[in-house]
Amino acid sequence: MDRKLSIPGGLTGALVGLAAELALEEITGMEIVNGLLAVIGAGFGLIRIDRRIYEATVNLLKRVPVEANSDYRDVLEQIDEMSLELPELRESFVKLVQAGIEAQKA
Amino acid sequence: MVGLNALSKLFRKTIGPRIEALGLLPQRYYLHRALDALEKDDIDEAVRMVTLAGNDKKDARWRLVCQQVIFRCRVLASQHEKQLDRFETEMEIFGKPIELSDTYLRLQKAEERARDILRSYEMTLFNQLNGRKSDPVTAE
Repeated sequence: MDRKLSIPGGLTGALVGLAAELALEEITGMEIVNGLLAVIGAGFGLIRIDRRIYEATVNLLKRVPVEANSDYRDVLEQIDEMSLELPELRESFVKLVQAGIEAQKA
Repeated sequence: MVGLNALSKLFRKTIGPRIEALGLLPQRYYLHRALDALEKDDIDEAVRMVTLAGNDKKDARWRLVCQQVIFRCRVLASQHEKQLDRFETEMEIFGKPIELSDTYLRLQKAEERARDILRSYEMTLFNQLNGRKSDPVTAE
């Protein structure tokens, strides 16, 4: 079957879709696109949970406050103290530090 | 597409939170929500989600996320502790001006309260991590 693409048809469809979305947003007060993106994001998050846990571990280390007059030993000591009795997290931190050292060597 | 999204939004605004609170959704969902909350430093929500995620099984993923929240609680509590120390040092060095004493006192109390709430969250999760029962914590 011969199918022809219509650019004006596509543009009209997009315009109608946009108008419908804006109208729905006005009437219901719901942010359709943002909501949809949130749902897609949550879906990907469920699939990529291991990656997210890894990113959260890196983020945790990045957010440890470092004072202006402290050196890396102070920071390490602080991390060590804060991760007492948290064996799995401690192991993850050690792996991250080792990966960082390996990356620096390479 | 719009209809599907509107439906999912409606679900999340109406019966979604109730179903979520029942702990019937997959563990990954709660872990995902806990990580979101942790990123925003919404510790109350993170603790709630970790608790719901650990209802059925406490596997390696759950343990790690739980420990991440505990770690963050400790970091934040130590910041409040440092702030308290700073107040005390300032008052010792500069004295306590009468016009500022109320403000100092209020700030001190707020810092103490924040630290105590974080410590109780830490304790709640720590007990769960070690298989002990604990009372749920609620932030006022």
